[in-house]
Amino acid sequence: MIPAELNDAAFIVVQLEPAEHEDIKALRDTLRQFAVFDATATTQVRAHAQQAATFLNLILLAAPGDPAVLLTQASDAIDSAIKACEAASMHEPRITQTGLIAIAHDPGDADALSADMATPVPAETAGTTPKRTPTITAPTAAQFAEAVPAAAAPAAVVVHPTAIDGGMVPDDADLSLLGDFIAESRDSMAGAEAALLQLEANPEDIEAINTVFRAFHTVKGTAAFMGLDKLAEFAHHAESLLSRVRDRELPYTQAVANLSLRSNDVLGEFLEAVEKSVQMSEPIALPSDYAHLMHDLLNVDAVLAGIETRVAAVVAAPGAAPIAVASPAADAAPVMSSRAPDDVAAPRAQAARAVVKNESDLSVRVRTDRLDRLIDMVGELVIAQSMIAADPAVTAVGQHDLVKKVSQAGKIMRELQDLSMSMRMVPMKSTFQKLTRLVRDVALKAGKIVELVTDGEDTELDRNMVDAIADPLVHMVRNAVDHGVEGPEDRERAGKPRAGRVKLAAFQQGGSVIVELRDDGRGLNRDRILAKALEKGLVSANHSLTESEINALIFAPGFSTAETITDISGRGVGMDVVRRNIESIRGRIDIQSVLGQGTVFQIRLPLTLAVTDGMLVRVGDERYVVPLTSISLSFRPEPDMLTTIPPNGEVVMLRGEVLPVVRLHQMFNIPNAVTNPSDAILMIVGDGEQRVALLVDKLLGQQQVVAKALGDGVGEIPGISGGAILSDGRVGLIIDISRMTSLARIGDVRPRALSFAA
Amino acid sequence: MTTTVDRSASSLGGKYLTFYLAGEEYGVEILRVQEIISMMPITRVPRTPKYIRGVINLRGKVIPIMDLREKFGMPPATEPEQVMIVVQVGGVQIGVVADKVSEVASIAAADIDPTPDFGAEIHTEFLLGLGKSNGRLRLLLDIERVLSTDEVTAIASLPGVAQGD
Repeated sequence: MIPAELNDAAFIVVQLEPAEHEDIKALRDTLRQFAVFDATATTQVRAHAQQAATFLNLILLAAPGDPAVLLTQASDAIDSAIKACEAASMHEPRITQTGLIAIAHDPGDADALSADMATPVPAETAGTTPKRTPTITAPTAAQFAEAVPAAAAPAAVVVHPTAIDGGMVPDDADLSLLGDFIAESRDSMAGAEAALLQLEANPEDIEAINTVFRAFHTVKGTAAFMGLDKLAEFAHHAESLLSRVRDRELPYTQAVANLSLRSNDVLGEFLEAVEKSVQMSEPIALPSDYAHLMHDLLNVDAVLAGIETRVAAVVAAPGAAPIAVASPAADAAPVMSSRAPDDVAAPRAQAARAVVKNESDLSVRVRTDRLDRLIDMVGELVIAQSMIAADPAVTAVGQHDLVKKVSQAGKIMRELQDLSMSMRMVPMKSTFQKLTRLVRDVALKAGKIVELVTDGEDTELDRNMVDAIADPLVHMVRNAVDHGVEGPEDRERAGKPRAGRVKLAAFQQGGSVIVELRDDGRGLNRDRILAKALEKGLVSANHSLTESEINALIFAPGFSTAETITDISGRGVGMDVVRRNIESIRGRIDIQSVLGQGTVFQIRLPLTLAVTDGMLVRVGDERYVVPLTSISLSFRPEPDMLTTIPPNGEVVMLRGEVLPVVRLHQMFNIPNAVTNPSDAILMIVGDGEQRVALLVDKLLGQQQVVAKALGDGVGEIPGISGGAILSDGRVGLIIDISRMTSLARIGDVRPRALSFAA
Repeated sequence: MTTTVDRSASSLGGKYLTFYLAGEEYGVEILRVQEIISMMPITRVPRTPKYIRGVINLRGKVIPIMDLREKFGMPPATEPEQVMIVVQVGGVQIGVVADKVSEVASIAAADIDPTPDFGAEIHTEFLLGLGKSNGRLRLLLDIERVLSTDEVTAIASLPGVAQGD
């Protein structure tokens, strides 16, 4: 998917004339903001955007060279960014460092050099000498630095010729102390971000200001102690800004909020850079926004005064996001930066949330791979124990004492297993916090007023799953704010409050965790979705679909194309990827939507990926595990319940319902299986139209199993979701019911084609 | 995905774990070998190529087992096989069934001959060369290629392949 900013920028840049300085400036700022803030874009995309901003900046600085050529170069850079986006969405996002080097070595490009110094460079170019390109940098950079009157042009980047890197981590630094420092500072940064966002809702919250102040102050103190002077200096300036707010010298305006949030980001990036620097023993790479932000912090007053015009310029840009005109007095969107100070001071009652709690739980940090290994070993221990318990020497008559001891050990081990499993559970809090920030940034950019309400952030989920749903959630929340919620004017016309409301909730329901995203926006337009699907050939015209089936069309691969973004309010963007990600962790996503009233996305996830309740079944000489949640009923059929449909279809009639029979032994080519259904068992599995009757020989009993991947050497087997270690230590295969039933429905009962057999 | 290994003859010298398979003695670079385990029950996995014998539980980890006889198109074993050699290639663990383990042999680069070309009928692409030591000839396996030519690469390119457990 391509971010809206880039699309807009590509559209605007081709219409620009070299003399339209106001518009160029606006576009430059948008690109810069994108390059710095958009955490979802890859480093390469952001570097291209940054480069485009640089070319625009050169025009503004009246640098030598033809402005028209520079404009073309900017346009090319935006195109590269879009291409990189497309490439990135096809592969896993990853940093392509060669791309960055290519940019950085573009001659005569001051900003690209600043991008260079901000970017970790592979060893062969970086070397270990801290100042590696001063001869190229100094004259060019100085030339542009001169062109910028220090405080008068607050938005211009000042390139410090000496600031190639952040120096080395001092040799005498205690590395374990440094590790602690980074971990602690990260926690402080997270706390500070939450407090900053809270401040935005309630600028009078002195406690929140103090939290941020303390966080910056601690980082500053410790950094100075560790000899990280650049970091300490930066934290000092960020802290100064906050102290002025605390002392009521400055009101906490949007502009201050932006500066503080950016400071927080830069501090976070700085910590990462320090960590990387220690690992690679390279100089510390300065965060990309460092020089720019440092300049802004040093000239706070000028920046705060100047910000109004910059926002106005963005508004004036053709094709830019439809933001209300930003006159200082107007009652523009509350999240806009043009609020008058007294407006800010008025606390917004509905946003008064509880003060950020200080988590003082005692805890120890453990690496996740160690934890996973522990859980594996405990699982092994439980199996080893049950093998002892089943050993003839133990079960022999007269061994009462031994049996008692063994079963006592078994109890302890199962408790140990439960405990080890619970260690992987983490609250959803940090995920939700990141989304709060995202809502704020997206709303600000799209010119919308959006209030995010979260609920149940203490709900716990397996650590791996929290990681796995983070990306889909970012995508969905972005969609909800960007496309689901209408702009303030549209909302007013529709008789809704100007502020849109997005609610993110997590709660437990039975053995599942539900994560719910609810917006009160325009809802899905089913007519248009259907029209689009017909046009794309995803459904045929003579098929009548239910509401939920039409909703589900937005998950169809190929439905999400660029033009549908505007056509159906963009709900199709990459939703197939969202659904795939969620299904890969055995989750399910459902949509409910009422046109004009909003949309609810409900993600249902198992509590943990690790344990599945399964039914162990025997087919021929083999055993399989069927997840208990997908079984609705098992029975031995009477001969008259079965009907054969030529040439080889089979159905069973159960209480008036006709279900296709799927013979597992046929699907999986299992020898020595019971072939007469009347001597075997039929299990009704799957749900909805996917329900089938699965033929197995025998039910062996219910068992909790630990699901494991089959190993990279085997890969994905259609119909098998993984393996489980059974009580005898052997591997049992877990059946993926939904894949299996869909295979059965398309009649694919052949073994996998041996296309790559030698 | 796999590290490029210098395949010039001079780099081939070193220690090899040798094992018997269908009467011949094969060698695999010792650095690739993770462990040798005795034969245990293997769970067949449906819808996989025949040379994937199935999966086993290696101390809590599920790993696939490959049958080299099938892979090389040899007739099935007449005697029960005794061991599985667990190798690690490009982060992927996989077990290889062998009749019997022989020894760890040091084979000097000078004692390794390139595989003669038998034409298209005989698969020699899986061999690094022929090692001579103690008057015996060993077929030195390019284990990386054995595992990666077909299934390992085919699998790595599949999206969303199991990320651990």
